[in-house]
Amino acid sequence: MQDSNADMVALARKTLLYEWRRFLPAMVAIAFASLLLLLQASLVLGIFGSASVYVTGSDADVWLGYPGTQSVDQGRVIDPDAATLLYMQPQVARVEPFIWFDGDWRGPVATGGVSVFISGIDVRQDGLMFARVLDPSLRAALREPDSIVVDRAELDKLGVRVGDSAHINGQRVRVVGVGRGLRALGGVNILTSLDTARRLNVDAAQPDWPTYLVAKLRDPAQAAAVAQRVSHLHGSSPHAAWSAEDFARRSMLFWLFDSGAGAGVLFLAGIVLLVGAAITSQTLVAAVFGSIREYATLNALGVGMRALRWVVLEQAFWVGAVGLVVASLGGALLIWIAHLKDVPVAFDISIWLTCFVLVMVLAFLSGLIALRTLRRADPAELLR
Amino acid sequence: MNGPALMAQVMPALVAQGVCKAFVSGNIRTSALQQISLQVHAGELTLIAGPSGCGKSTLLSVLSGLQRPDSGRVVALSEELGLLDLRALERFRLRHTGFVFQGFNLFPALQVFEQVELPLQYMGVSSEEARLRSQEALEEVGMQSRRHLRPIELSGGEKQRVAIARALAKRPALLFADEPTSSLDAANGQIVIDMLHSIARRHGTTVLCVSHDPRLMTHADRVLHMEDGRILDDRPI
Repeated sequence: MQDSNADMVALARKTLLYEWRRFLPAMVAIAFASLLLLLQASLVLGIFGSASVYVTGSDADVWLGYPGTQSVDQGRVIDPDAATLLYMQPQVARVEPFIWFDGDWRGPVATGGVSVFISGIDVRQDGLMFARVLDPSLRAALREPDSIVVDRAELDKLGVRVGDSAHINGQRVRVVGVGRGLRALGGVNILTSLDTARRLNVDAAQPDWPTYLVAKLRDPAQAAAVAQRVSHLHGSSPHAAWSAEDFARRSMLFWLFDSGAGAGVLFLAGIVLLVGAAITSQTLVAAVFGSIREYATLNALGVGMRALRWVVLEQAFWVGAVGLVVASLGGALLIWIAHLKDVPVAFDISIWLTCFVLVMVLAFLSGLIALRTLRRADPAELLR
Repeated sequence: MNGPALMAQVMPALVAQGVCKAFVSGNIRTSALQQISLQVHAGELTLIAGPSGCGKSTLLSVLSGLQRPDSGRVVALSEELGLLDLRALERFRLRHTGFVFQGFNLFPALQVFEQVELPLQYMGVSSEEARLRSQEALEEVGMQSRRHLRPIELSGGEKQRVAIARALAKRPALLFADEPTSSLDAANGQIVIDMLHSIARRHGTTVLCVSHDPRLMTHADRVLHMEDGRILDDRPI
């Protein structure tokens, strides 16, 4: 049976190959629509994903913070005694504080006011915060008092070079190194030690209090369960706990929709799909129309309209598939270039798969629109 | 002797009774067929001749089940076509009819043998059987040696022979041809009409051909002359 299928006359595919020029506009339209969707999704993920760089760049599995916190950068200070709640969990291997606040930057050259976010982290060699993105030598350099590290792409904005001094909240700091993948959303991310951070936090009533307590588990798979348990414990002060994955997603979604960018992205995606569908369906309509006499002849010979519809839908499928392959290759190349240029882009397989599904639905709908043309394949018309 | 041939001895392959068909364009109603009654027999090449606009193509499309008459009935192979719905009509055509048109209507992308095998695969014929039938049909029209060519590489006469093979490979009981020679030169027209004639003889097929080509008259077993939607003259040759 498989052999006989292999021998079948593949009308849809052969026509597509032989008359590829006819189908080219549809393939180009699909490829561009897919590429736009993919890049837009990657950019959005990259940009808004940096809202959660504190979470995704760190090795912590559970985050403890102020109840109702919608995004990492919206946190309030909590009582450091809450750490006991974490230590009560047998799963917890290690707890460390994370101090986060915003400050005012004054560089050596006139840069105007630059809003900065100060991240005070545990600078021991096995510290959890930024463990995935901070080079160990940079972490070691931060042990020196008043030293800071920033993303290399932020130097121009801050008006400094490595080795330069500047002021945060009126306190002197020195840039001891630059890293990659440390960019945050809404301001410049400044990494420093917990001690330096407390000293820079001049306006706070309790400069010693952390914004978060982060914990490493023996089994990271238990993060959601531990977070839920800790959230329900009664402590001396208000607190809530989230798994790292959950908190990262909360942060990203908060920025995506709070900034209005989410609606913009969806709107643009809608436009892209609409334009793609318009071009694709018109191309398919023209292709069906070009073969209308042949289709009518097949119908005269008794080949049912249903079978002919499948030919058109199969063509729509292949047009979509070819467009997607081209777009994926192009997208992968562009994302690679973007990475080299420090453009915040992120690759996420589930987002790409969603784009694939959307584009194939687009191709299918275009095929459905083209089916209407098949009605003109009336064999009686051949007898005029 | 096969089924259709056996049946042919019992009753006519095609019967039309009081068939009327009119077309309305704006306020003008044109009568294409007026009370046509006729019987067409298997194993014969029947030619419908007449000036253009006399209704001969309309008669062909009504007799072949491509169009429904306004009134009257058509019985093909003992099946009353008026009682079949669209799907059933398609199935009837798939099983029993072949068509040859003035334009050859071959798919540009397909090679000769694929043009012939394509309808067969929709009939549910296995690919081995389809290959065999296409070989036979292409041999019969003398195109087997050119089976790997595409339409663009064929002359008009060759294209029409492929179209005939495409119809023939279905082993239809009814074969309809509409002006099959009018876009061909004299020699190729001759070849095509000879083929249609021999198909009727060798396979017991009912061949109904519409043409205004006077050269065809002498090759037909029977000629029906039409004018203004009526059959004026019906005579065997």
